[in-house]
Amino acid sequence: MQPAWVDYNGHMSESCYLLAFGDNADAFFRYIGIDEHYRAAGHSLYTVETHLRHLREAGEAAPLSMTLRVLDHDDKRVHVFHEMFLGDSEELLATAEQMLVHVDSRAGRSAPMPPDIALHLEAIHRAHAALAVPAAVGKPMRIRRG
Amino acid sequence: MGESPVPFSTYRTEVRNEWLDYNGHMHDASYGIVLSDANEELFEVLDLSADYRAASGASFFTVECHIRYLAECSLGEMLSATTIMLAADAKRVRLYTEIRREDGRVAATGDSVYLHVDVAIGKTVHMPPDRHDRVQDMLAAHAGLPRPATLGLGVGAARA
Repeated sequence: MQPAWVDYNGHMSESCYLLAFGDNADAFFRYIGIDEHYRAAGHSLYTVETHLRHLREAGEAAPLSMTLRVLDHDDKRVHVFHEMFLGDSEELLATAEQMLVHVDSRAGRSAPMPPDIALHLEAIHRAHAALAVPAAVGKPMRIRRG
Repeated sequence: MGESPVPFSTYRTEVRNEWLDYNGHMHDASYGIVLSDANEELFEVLDLSADYRAASGASFFTVECHIRYLAECSLGEMLSATTIMLAADAKRVRLYTEIRREDGRVAATGDSVYLHVDVAIGKTVHMPPDRHDRVQDMLAAHAGLPRPATLGLGVGAARA
């Protein structure tokens, strides 16, 4: 965790969770071929929705590790779930559920992914389908009492 | 508490250079900054912000936030926010926020739950009675406002 991410309470500020999960998504999408070159050629992925849950505080300089799984996808959309852990421990700090859409940046509208990327995503989705779906997925926001 | 507009709608900001991504549009995390700053202004009006934190050692922490990204924002554009207090009890406040561009289009919505935390012990605690009353006054003032259709839907549900 970077010093610039810390708020007045000495904790990681909210938007920095978005930055960290954004970096995690970026690392994954680079892995399947969506990088600067891909974006420069006119297509990209835009986040359309993010649902963050903060479970534990992270202090300054805390080591963070993250996982990402593909929950679902179609030719234009990818639904992912991130988990953020304290270092290599199993202490879960935060989760993020996100929907991303593949867009033609110049036309400014959604567009199908090219076959090579779609196939790669499909293989990963199949592998991740063996994992249990986290309880938080698809849960709407509400005040939980008691 | 002084008179505050219903819904709460005083926040304004210009899109800053450091909020942009490589495409010249506002980055995902920057929408989070704007939503969070807009809601902080509401907490200030309730005297539940920085001065309160310094005096009481308690503060509101976000536990959950659901953002929908609806439109791009560009450098220098003026954004405004409208916030509805959806729910609140002695320890929790839930706010729904819409960020609007100058052309009136909603750029993002945020649905956030905050917990009132004693910072030293790291535990959720009740608000003092005077602050609780202010929160309940705002909740009552906002009770008649229409609720957005997407409220309470999970990720992906609004577009299915």
